[in-house]
Amino acid sequence: VTRIAAAGAYAPRFRLPADAVADAWGAAPSGIESTAVPFADEDALTMAVAAARRALAAGDVDPADVEHLALATTTPPLEESDLTARLGAMLGVPDDAGRQSFGASTRAGTRALTAALDAAPDPGLVVAADCPRGEPHDERDHAAGAGAAAFLLAAEGPAAVADRAEHATPAPGTRFRRAGSDRVEGLGVTAYDRARFREAVAGAVDGLAAPVDVDAAAVQAPDGGLPYRVTDALGVDADAVAAHETVSELGDTAAASAPLSLVRALAAGEDALAVAFGSGAGADALLVETDGRVPARVDLGGEESVDYARALRLRGEVTADAPDGGGAYVSVPAWRRSLPGRYRPAAGRCPDCGALAFPPRGACGDCGSLAGFETVELPGTGTVETVTRIDEAGAPPEFVPQASRGGPFGVALVALDGPGGGSVSAPLQLTDGRAAAAGDRVRAVVRRAYVQQGLPRYGAKALPAGD
Amino acid sequence: MRDVYLAGAGQSDFGAFPDESYRSLFATGYRRARDSLAGDLSPGDVDEAFVGSLGVGGRQIGLSAPALLDHVGLGGTPATRVENACAAGGFALRHGVQAIRSGMADVVLAGGVEVMTDLGDAAGYWLGVSGETEYERVSGTTFAGVYAQMADAYLREHGVDREALSRVAAKNHRHGAANPKAHLDFECSVADAEDGPVVADPFTLYHCCPTTDGAAVAVLAAEEVVDDYADERVRVAASGAGTDAVGLFERDTYTAVPAARRAAEAAYDRAGLGPGDVDVAEVHDCFAVAELLACEDLGFAERGAAAELVADGTTELGGALPVNPSGGLKSKGHPIGATGVGQAVELFEQLTGRAGDRQVADPRVALAHNVGGSGGAATVHLFEREAAADGGSVPAGRRAGGGDAPDGAVADPAGGDPA
Repeated sequence: VTRIAAAGAYAPRFRLPADAVADAWGAAPSGIESTAVPFADEDALTMAVAAARRALAAGDVDPADVEHLALATTTPPLEESDLTARLGAMLGVPDDAGRQSFGASTRAGTRALTAALDAAPDPGLVVAADCPRGEPHDERDHAAGAGAAAFLLAAEGPAAVADRAEHATPAPGTRFRRAGSDRVEGLGVTAYDRARFREAVAGAVDGLAAPVDVDAAAVQAPDGGLPYRVTDALGVDADAVAAHETVSELGDTAAASAPLSLVRALAAGEDALAVAFGSGAGADALLVETDGRVPARVDLGGEESVDYARALRLRGEVTADAPDGGGAYVSVPAWRRSLPGRYRPAAGRCPDCGALAFPPRGACGDCGSLAGFETVELPGTGTVETVTRIDEAGAPPEFVPQASRGGPFGVALVALDGPGGGSVSAPLQLTDGRAAAAGDRVRAVVRRAYVQQGLPRYGAKALPAGD
Repeated sequence: MRDVYLAGAGQSDFGAFPDESYRSLFATGYRRARDSLAGDLSPGDVDEAFVGSLGVGGRQIGLSAPALLDHVGLGGTPATRVENACAAGGFALRHGVQAIRSGMADVVLAGGVEVMTDLGDAAGYWLGVSGETEYERVSGTTFAGVYAQMADAYLREHGVDREALSRVAAKNHRHGAANPKAHLDFECSVADAEDGPVVADPFTLYHCCPTTDGAAVAVLAAEEVVDDYADERVRVAASGAGTDAVGLFERDTYTAVPAARRAAEAAYDRAGLGPGDVDVAEVHDCFAVAELLACEDLGFAERGAAAELVADGTTELGGALPVNPSGGLKSKGHPIGATGVGQAVELFEQLTGRAGDRQVADPRVALAHNVGGSGGAATVHLFEREAAADGGSVPAGRRAGGGDAPDGAVADPAGGDPA
């Protein structure tokens, strides 16, 4: 049987306190103390990369061995385009690994997990990442959070899904998102919404063969109160729900909601009942049993608190678009050619003199050889050589939306550590509004550079190494 | 090889001109260059033309040089657009020198033009096209950011305060305020520069040149024909050039511009001159740190010591080595392709005593330093005013600084007005 060998979780650095929402709108959603706000260059794909890298590191698995990759999100940066190809390239997963995408429902995370279990990879990787939003006046937006959870599946591992069941029931009018819209909405028929939620999750749990006896329940949490209204139907007590919930800190993480709580429970070595609900409606129930703590890297960020105005800026609700124009345009095929080193830290090594080159192209800068370069992967860490901070007035037009949302940003020349010594310089933007000075250590992460012609383009940016 | 002379030079005003086209600006530069000649330039006299332009978008890019020549009544003349980013003008001059030295041409127009201010916010798209676009630009920088990275490294390496940058800006604003053709006509104090809005740390707005519309034209002539056009001989003593990796991060140093050092070395060698011989220089101060780097790359100061030249007044008008008496890119403006030729216009006026309120006293050797991108290409030109054949010098009457022209100075030609 395929087991869970390791796990990872990620949430953005920024938190909007519920008090700030209450100040702005007169009330805040119940059971939520703060919501996670993605930085201006984060989306479901970049969060998925961050969580997946943590799961791979926790499990000490080489991404080149991964046989199956699944991504679940209700907020894909492109509604049509297989993001698992980019995700796999960013992680170093082989081109021939099985790939599956799940969406359209906040149940997508557990759908991805059960499908991957059926594929029985050794190893496999399942990632759920989400950052839902609603209209700013809508209570769903006040609860909207962000986060990602990743599971590493393998033949061996401390946890296994002992039983699973699902249930579906027509529930039109519960939370939905229209075609072409990036905002969830609902009709606000509260009693009806709750009844459909209860019906679906209870049905799924009733489908489990064995009676539930767990101390931890990872329950879908569109807000901080709903999971506690169905504990009787789930056969668990409120403490079990509260033990590893993330909604109070991160807000509604949609498809990543139950998975995030499950990661926390597994990291604590506890048996858990995971229950995911997707409006429409359907539910999954997974009974997960452990023989010890699951290796996990769980860091949910939260170092920085933002006020409501800053949160609106970070989400791009009130900010500038890029001006129309041309110049300094990098064509998509040119971008594609330059992906080595962008998705994953890499450089070239001159076969004649051994010098490192970035980007690896043309003649060797050291010896002039035209022999071409051998691609070498880099650890992705480095030291700042020199740095500037670009203010909004100094941002290139493509970066105007980001600067308008995220504010001034640093751009450093970084001496990237070579494999086993040496270094090679590359320009890297500092993200999350973080600063660094010459001599500081930084590490590379994947973030969105900018959106052009409707296409988000992703590449390496840097964070202080300690983050 | 035969010598080449700067027979005349002129430029349009530099500034923001919503009612001018790149053709009309070039025509103004051409007319003023022609007016600066002592003799008549007939359309058939021009053998070749090179026009520097980056080709900032929004107008003719392909075949723009033929279009410009046709517009000024020189249609049919072999004409080529030269593109080396902000050094396009310097390279247009260099091609002109080469054409004459080779014997293929006797008279060459070397010009430059750029229109930048009519794109509004979209102009920013063009400000990063000459970096290593796929990497520097994609990391979120335009040139302000890349030069700011150089400034950060420079200030740290040499333990220099940002105020050194502000003093460069204040000096060049003072100079430019005395230049009727400059883009920015106001002075800016060191405190203004320090307190300005940040563009790319450590640069505030006042450490950065403006985007500018403008054109400039130089008339180059072979030694055999120069006397037909000029009654003073301003010889192109040398044209030096160099290139380097386009991306700053690919270079060996962040605190010097190796391409400019190569250009300077080549120019000094060719001319048999050294930094100590230079009486006035126009250098490429697109951002304040660039003037400090230029002074060091050109040998005016040791590495890390250029700030002292500004602080002690050496590079101020009236100092021992005035740098950017025109106001430089900072104040005179930076219409990309026109900048390098615009420097030659200023130095022509300085060497022939036509620089008005910003006249340097009796200069003999002048240097123009023009850099493309953050240092991917550079030219250094040395101009030398020759004593007249009869032993005369620049007419005393033309020299704001007085000077002691010997008897027998040539007569003041009609073209004294630098309009």
